Amino acid sequence: MPHQIALTVKADVLPGRADALRQLLNAIGEECRRAELLPFEELPVHFARFFLLDEAHDLKGAVIPAALVFLSDVDAPLHQYLSRLAARAGPGLDQIFSHCEGYPQGPDVIPQERVRYLQARMVRSATVYVNTVGRSLEQVRAEARLREAVEDFLDRPPVPAPGTPAGVWDHVQRQVAADPTLTWATQPASRPGAAWRLRQGAHLLAAPLAVLVALPLILPLLPFWLILLRIREKRDPARRLVPDPAHVEQLAAREDKVVQNQFAAVGFLKPGPFRRLTLSVVLWVVNYTTRHVFNHGSLAGVRTIHFARWTFIDEKRRLIFASNYDGSLESYMDDFIDKVAWGLNAVFSNGVDFPRTNWLVRDGARDELAFKNLLRVRQVDTPIWYSAYGDLTAMNVANNAAIRAGLSGAMSADQAAVWAGRI
Amino acid sequence: MTVALELDDIQGIVARAYPDLRAACFLLLGVRDPVAAGAWLHALCDQVTSARSRPEATAVNLALTPGGLRALGQPLEAFATEFVQGMADVHRSRPLGDVGANDPSGWRWGGPATSPVHLALLLYAKDEPGLESLSGSLSAQLAANGLDLVVRLDTSDLDEVEHFGFRDGISQPLIEGLSKTGPASNTVKAGEFILGYPNEYGLYTDRPLVAPSEDPGSILPRDPAGSGQADLGRNGSYLVLRQLEQDVVGFWGFLEQATHGAGGAAGPGARRALAAKMVGRWPSGAPLVLAPDADDPSLGEANDFGYFTEDRGGTRCPIGAHIRRANPRDSLDPRPGSQASIDVGKRHRILRRGREYGPPISIEQLEAGDDGGLERGLYFLCLNANLARQFEFIQHTWVNNAKFSGLYDDPDPLVGARNGGRDTFTVQAEPVRSRVRGLPQFVTVKGGAYFFLPGIRAIRYLTTPRKRPTAR
Repeated sequence: MPHQIALTVKADVLPGRADALRQLLNAIGEECRRAELLPFEELPVHFARFFLLDEAHDLKGAVIPAALVFLSDVDAPLHQYLSRLAARAGPGLDQIFSHCEGYPQGPDVIPQERVRYLQARMVRSATVYVNTVGRSLEQVRAEARLREAVEDFLDRPPVPAPGTPAGVWDHVQRQVAADPTLTWATQPASRPGAAWRLRQGAHLLAAPLAVLVALPLILPLLPFWLILLRIREKRDPARRLVPDPAHVEQLAAREDKVVQNQFAAVGFLKPGPFRRLTLSVVLWVVNYTTRHVFNHGSLAGVRTIHFARWTFIDEKRRLIFASNYDGSLESYMDDFIDKVAWGLNAVFSNGVDFPRTNWLVRDGARDELAFKNLLRVRQVDTPIWYSAYGDLTAMNVANNAAIRAGLSGAMSADQAAVWAGRI
Repeated sequence: MTVALELDDIQGIVARAYPDLRAACFLLLGVRDPVAAGAWLHALCDQVTSARSRPEATAVNLALTPGGLRALGQPLEAFATEFVQGMADVHRSRPLGDVGANDPSGWRWGGPATSPVHLALLLYAKDEPGLESLSGSLSAQLAANGLDLVVRLDTSDLDEVEHFGFRDGISQPLIEGLSKTGPASNTVKAGEFILGYPNEYGLYTDRPLVAPSEDPGSILPRDPAGSGQADLGRNGSYLVLRQLEQDVVGFWGFLEQATHGAGGAAGPGARRALAAKMVGRWPSGAPLVLAPDADDPSLGEANDFGYFTEDRGGTRCPIGAHIRRANPRDSLDPRPGSQASIDVGKRHRILRRGREYGPPISIEQLEAGDDGGLERGLYFLCLNANLARQFEFIQHTWVNNAKFSGLYDDPDPLVGARNGGRDTFTVQAEPVRSRVRGLPQFVTVKGGAYFFLPGIRAIRYLTTPRKRPTAR
């Protein structure tokens, strides 16, 4: 099974075209034309979205032009996604990107030109989180069908009287094996390719090794960094911003339609190299943990996030955070505050107006309402959002996978009891 | 550290549900003449029952909607967004489950198609004659004082049992700082329910503060957080009022149908057992976690229990049962079974103050399918300091969430909104679950609004003729 890739494409909007582009994105998102113009349903993509970053002024007053951002969480290989996207979604891409700089003009744009355009504007994310690395869209969909079939087996008469969980397991396994559309489920899911696993393994070892080598350099600098941090934590402004009600209303209008929601936010880093360096290092460390530790079902205890990414833009003056999560924004924010406030602080306290932290990880997001308000202020309206499985939470997806995994091989009575409890 | 509560300023309904005042009605009013209404309400302050008193005859409490505050000339910027937008706001309906049969467009009051509600007068008395005399004398004064009666909600006394036949209102959080004490796991910081006190985060929940120049008579207390502002929120709370119609015949009729030929023996025992699985308690109130196999009235008030150690998998009390999702206790992340799990749960508690309406009916009558053709239901009232994190969170993330705690298609089997035919109730069991499919909706929302329940000084402030009232 392939691993997942976070594709970020960012294109500057042509001068004067931002409003027209916004109207177009709204129209495609609202008028249910999305499936026709951007048929993500036919592509190996878990989630995708388009949003517009308005023209902005950086902290020194320099103009940052409006930009279109296109995100996808796709199954590898990336080139396959891009070429299929370019082939199937030509009219949609052409309409949207014709408002952006450098897009080939004219009625006869060929797919290869679209691919080249997107590739040229790809932005690498500093940190990527994937709920379960290596679980493809095909696997998610197939295992959801499997689970429904298993539930039906157990509802449908004649139900044998399986007195024990092992009996239930045996009954289900026979039914699955006898159904030609499900026999695949008696084999375990395949893993990502050997080359990819080799790269992962190398990274797992090389990164700590590199840190170890650099330690004699890092350690003497650490006290200075801490002093600078403490000075800044005391002095950095932390205005308590309150979101504009109209902005909140616009965001809320797009939320809570399927079991997941998307979150996208953009903000400026605090000025100067100190915060830029600190955030780069923190995100490098977080990326190491999402690659090697938090790669199977939980981000430091939060089990409701399908995909997330942190991406520097504008020469590291700004950071985009984007995620796909289960449930309401309120529950998402509460999860953040209650479970991973330290992690949020380490990252986002390097951004302007984050609630005041201490020692990088303390306080900060624990100022509940200041944090929740800031999130809404920074959140970006996302007119086009696609979820490939809007009826499945991350816990559902994981449970489906566990039901399937239990169908191959043997099982003890205890294991069978746990397995039967998943149904 | 416990903070002393200003009981003289907190309205009584926050501290107690007035269980001895068995008769109650709620008058929902509209302001026609702001000046006259303000003057009358100002005079009414002396009658408003505080948390200090323990009323034996009557009690009066008062709450205002955003429209009511606006009518009295109070700007709304500083109030919580959820409150200002209101319960019937089109974008709140999805997360609240107020869609389909629950849609505000069909509400009898509080919806877009009905007369605006500005005030709620919550009236309580020890018996019906006492209530009639209280409500009669107040009602008679309304018209002459610029107020219109939008709707009068009459309640009925079911003696702690709700219409489906189950003991109700057993689990209530205890407010830290009040005289009644109990287990620490059920004792919650006052700031979760009363504005102007530290909440479970150790912070003051956002609340309306006004410039001292707006309060020249210093009627209001000053912000305890030290901003120097006058604190309009202090000792107040947000009140949720919803009219929930209960399809009592439909409920017991469905149980009859669901237990027929499901393998087990049909009959009253099977119906009640399945009903108990849906509720999480037996009709007496005994929790399934402690009494898994049969009702045990001696456990009718049992409330000091958890789920993780006794019943992690839900084979006693189903994961999706009403009480397990409305108050998950120690069963959710982080680290189920731990103090951390309980602590996070404490940030999502509400004080319930509801009363039933419609005449009592026995389970036996219901099983016979005879409801006398009369409507029955619950006026759901609850109090919290943060509507988004408390009432709305419980409603969206727990009660109506078909995905609650790893489930798939299971909204709250008793009170939840339905999602169009897929709705399921899963009963975890050994060796494997059974499930009830095609669950109908048993509870329908018929009206509702968010109110601000001010401290008594704040009512005085709001009704003092100090600014130009802006008529609607």
